[in-house]
Amino acid sequence: MTATVPTPTSTTAAARAVDVTKVYGAGDTVVNALAGVSVEFQRGQYAAIMGPSGSGKSTLLHCLAGLDRVTAGQIFLGDDEISAMSEKQLTLIRREKIGFVFQAYNLVPTLTGLENVTLPLALAGKKPDQAWLDQIIETVHLADRVDHRPNELSGGQQQRVAVARALASRPEVIFADEPTGNLDSKSGAEILGFMRKAVDQLGQTIVMVTHDPVAAAYADRVVFLADGLICGDISEPTVDSVMDNMRRLGD
Amino acid sequence: MWRATLRGLFAKKFRLVLTSIAIVLGVAFMAGTFVLTDTLGSVFDNLFANTTKGVDAVVRAKEPFKASNQAGGGEQTRPPVPGSLVDTVQDAKGVDLAQGNILGYALVTGTDGEAVQNQAPTFGTPWRSPSESVNQSSEIVEGRAPRAPDEVALDLKTFEEGKFRLGDTARISFLTVEPRELEVVGAFLFGGKRDGLVGATLAAFEPETAQEVMNRVDQWDVIEVKADAGVSQTEVRDNIRRALRDAGLNGDFESITGEQLAKEQSDELKKNLSFFNTFLLVFALIALFVGAFVIYNTFSITVAQRIRELGLLRALGASGKQVVGSVVIEAFVVGALSSILGIVLGILIVSPLQGLLSAFGIDLPGGALQIEPRTIVVSFLVGTGVTMVAALGPARRASKIPPIAALRDQAFDGGAGRRRYIWGTVLLVLGVLALLNGLFGDLSGGSAAAFVGVSALLVFVGVAMLSPLAAKPAARLLTWPAIKGNFITGILARENAQRNPRRTAATAAALMIGLALVSAIAIMSQSFKTTFRSAIEDQTTADFILSPSGFAPFSPEAAQAVRDELPGSTVVEYRFGTIEIDGDGTAILGASPEFTEMTDAGVSRRAAAAFADEGGMLVHRDTAEDRGIEVGDVLDVRFPNGPGTLTVQGFFDDKKALPTDADFIVSTDNWDGFPDPLDFYVGVLKPDDVSTKEAAKIVEGIADRIGGVEADNLAGFVDRQIAQFNQILGLMYVLLLLAVVIALVGIVNTLALSVFERTREIGLMRAVGMSRVQLKRMIRGEALITASFGSLLGLAIGLFFGVMIVQAFASDGITLAIPVSQLVIFGVLAALAGLLAGVLPARRAARLDVLDAITTE
Repeated sequence: MTATVPTPTSTTAAARAVDVTKVYGAGDTVVNALAGVSVEFQRGQYAAIMGPSGSGKSTLLHCLAGLDRVTAGQIFLGDDEISAMSEKQLTLIRREKIGFVFQAYNLVPTLTGLENVTLPLALAGKKPDQAWLDQIIETVHLADRVDHRPNELSGGQQQRVAVARALASRPEVIFADEPTGNLDSKSGAEILGFMRKAVDQLGQTIVMVTHDPVAAAYADRVVFLADGLICGDISEPTVDSVMDNMRRLGD
Repeated sequence: MWRATLRGLFAKKFRLVLTSIAIVLGVAFMAGTFVLTDTLGSVFDNLFANTTKGVDAVVRAKEPFKASNQAGGGEQTRPPVPGSLVDTVQDAKGVDLAQGNILGYALVTGTDGEAVQNQAPTFGTPWRSPSESVNQSSEIVEGRAPRAPDEVALDLKTFEEGKFRLGDTARISFLTVEPRELEVVGAFLFGGKRDGLVGATLAAFEPETAQEVMNRVDQWDVIEVKADAGVSQTEVRDNIRRALRDAGLNGDFESITGEQLAKEQSDELKKNLSFFNTFLLVFALIALFVGAFVIYNTFSITVAQRIRELGLLRALGASGKQVVGSVVIEAFVVGALSSILGIVLGILIVSPLQGLLSAFGIDLPGGALQIEPRTIVVSFLVGTGVTMVAALGPARRASKIPPIAALRDQAFDGGAGRRRYIWGTVLLVLGVLALLNGLFGDLSGGSAAAFVGVSALLVFVGVAMLSPLAAKPAARLLTWPAIKGNFITGILARENAQRNPRRTAATAAALMIGLALVSAIAIMSQSFKTTFRSAIEDQTTADFILSPSGFAPFSPEAAQAVRDELPGSTVVEYRFGTIEIDGDGTAILGASPEFTEMTDAGVSRRAAAAFADEGGMLVHRDTAEDRGIEVGDVLDVRFPNGPGTLTVQGFFDDKKALPTDADFIVSTDNWDGFPDPLDFYVGVLKPDDVSTKEAAKIVEGIADRIGGVEADNLAGFVDRQIAQFNQILGLMYVLLLLAVVIALVGIVNTLALSVFERTREIGLMRAVGMSRVQLKRMIRGEALITASFGSLLGLAIGLFFGVMIVQAFASDGITLAIPVSQLVIFGVLAALAGLLAGVLPARRAARLDVLDAITTE
């Protein structure tokens, strides 16, 4: 398979958080979900964010993806500072430059698999690039299922459609929030394999939140979070190195 | 169970409010109607209690016959009593004072030259000073009593409205004598109140003058009696009865107490009020019926959404009955709260309702609001009952939710079973059969109408049950342009409308009802109007027609004036009366002998010439055939004034161009058997040597001068009649609007619940790049599809009913006319209103926070 690697338009990181804090609530009930996080995610890289529950890993992902507002600090997507954008601009960014894979309920039940895949393009009023579409559908092994509605697809197949949708608009970054959390290990492994392929062969950038060391081991790099702060960052992770790090965090 | 139910209910205030509105509006309308008619009833009770104030007993002529089929005017059927009878009554034991009284026709022209007339009668009466009068209803408050033939006193309101000062001259018109110029010497209050006459005007004359101007020389309408001190009303009445019997007069005259008279008059009026009450209640019930659909739908959706919760209750050991109970309790609370709110609102809307009726030409007197226990009890029971019945289906479905549902995570409106469609078909067929029986069966008017009403009910429910079948194709058809243009929001809207056909169909059905009724009425009225116009224009050659400004007939003075001022013209007067033929009181039309020259009613030349002979009559051909009446037959009849005979001189074929539905016509020259010569219409055929313009000027001048009369050319007359008809039509549309509004509330409700149910999905779509604008467009699109679907169904049913009903009247010469552009406008307006109903849920959906939405459980 020939990879169509997009040439980077700039040398800056695909996504970047600069000294980000996120505070929920006020007064006695105040929670510092992020307490000054700075991190960069390189283009063409598959990164995982890990940490115990309450560490702020999901909050970081939501802020990076423009789904949540930061209390202080900046978020960049490529050269664009999305932390300064209006809701309208964010909608366009989400539509064109970001892909999402959620843990569950990823698909619009009234649309077929293919319609779900092309939904962001349809919302933008764009025609899909048929060659690219064929390629990603091929990548996630969905060719014979795309005309089915979500309720006729298995959980694994639904997640594959979600991955294909995230790829469809050739986003700058794909954000995945526990994409295998609801799947059995075989389907989960499939999804993680497809995402790996998307990075290696299609030149995509993925940032994934997970609590599963096996899933994290598919990534090029793992960033560890605890109590709203970065507390570890390893490259070329293995299941063992990830588990070691996690154990240290637990202490 | 109670506490859990109530807590759940109040946690969802928005839903509660929207659901309530559906019932609140219907109940308010119902309660408002009751309060309004009860208030009117008490106003009239009061009026008639005042009319008979001081009167212990009355003596009057016996009613010659009971009119069973009274078409057209409200001609009184009791003849006057002779003046000499006063002495007989005076001599009866226990009678302190016996006096004749009259309530006749007298129209006052104000100082500005305009007749003082509301939508109520204009009366004249004799005046006696209170110390000498039996009747104590009025007292002079300005000036003095009329004592001479050229003097008059007016009720204070008329006095003020006519802008009179004491000493001014008032022009007053009568039925049988020339108008007179009388000096206004006083003003009086009737019943102690400025508006004690409830809109009527009253002019009082010196008694002998009163007899003269009101066609009662040596006669009275009634004799009023004041009893001796210590003699009760019933005692004096019985004494008078005895005196009448002793004088051999008890065959012609009767006596009743003052209280009886007041009650009789009041009951008579209340009978008319009850028609009015029924008319308004029908619309209130329609509103409640539509509300029932909304309730049904809301409960269906919430049961479907709470499937996990209800499943959990079952898993924890709640029985199916307890689950039903919890839904029914919820319905009861919603119904009871809504009904109470509705009753309060109903009392508040009485005066706006009265204002609305007045805007459509129905002026009603005001009074202290009468809130009867019946109003509260009936409104509460109906409102609560409708809510609970509507919730019964969803409640039963809730009981069938298995405990395992607690573990599944999909909301699911139980699949539409085949049973539903079978029942829907059965109801639809029964409905159509009921319609056919009602329209073409051999039934009386009342039960035919009942059949048509029940048929509409069955058809509505039947179609609503079957409509999920049509929801998908309809959604596909309606969104064809959007799909063609490949607009993603349009496609999503369509898919949403299709995903739950039952929900879409039930929501649309509520709108369907209003549309069906409006379009059926539009078709019927268009057909009647078109038929009326062509009947008048094709069958009448009159150049001008005089007609009443309001509903009250006018003096023959108008016709006489035309004859005098437009010599050579043909002038035809039409009068309405009742007469007893074959023991049956029936309507009869009085027409001037020349009427066949002006109106083509299919009368033979010979009959036209002969019918005006003394004792001559024309009979409608169908009636004649039914009863075996032939030319030359002499029929024994009773006129209001006494028995007589009428000879059948010929037939008429066609009633369409005649002003009443009467089956009998006599000449106005032979009107002696009827109490008063009141004209309802006057047709004028101008002489050839006078130009139309000139003739119009003369006729219009006469109408202006006389007052209470309008003059028009033929087209203008048709326009005026149609305009009056359109007013009532407009009122019906406005009343039906309430049903449409409730249906729109239903759309808001369904969409709001759907948005709530799809929170996660909406979050997802927003996350992958749907803008707020697109989201709103999608939800409004769903509203538009639902409303268009309901609107189309409604138009189809309305078309069917309208056409069928008009067909039923085909034998009366009514021809079908379909107001296509009007129907299209109704349909489009309803669809657009649906779009509007989508605005609120769309805004709510757009306000959802994306992150909250996608992380919702």
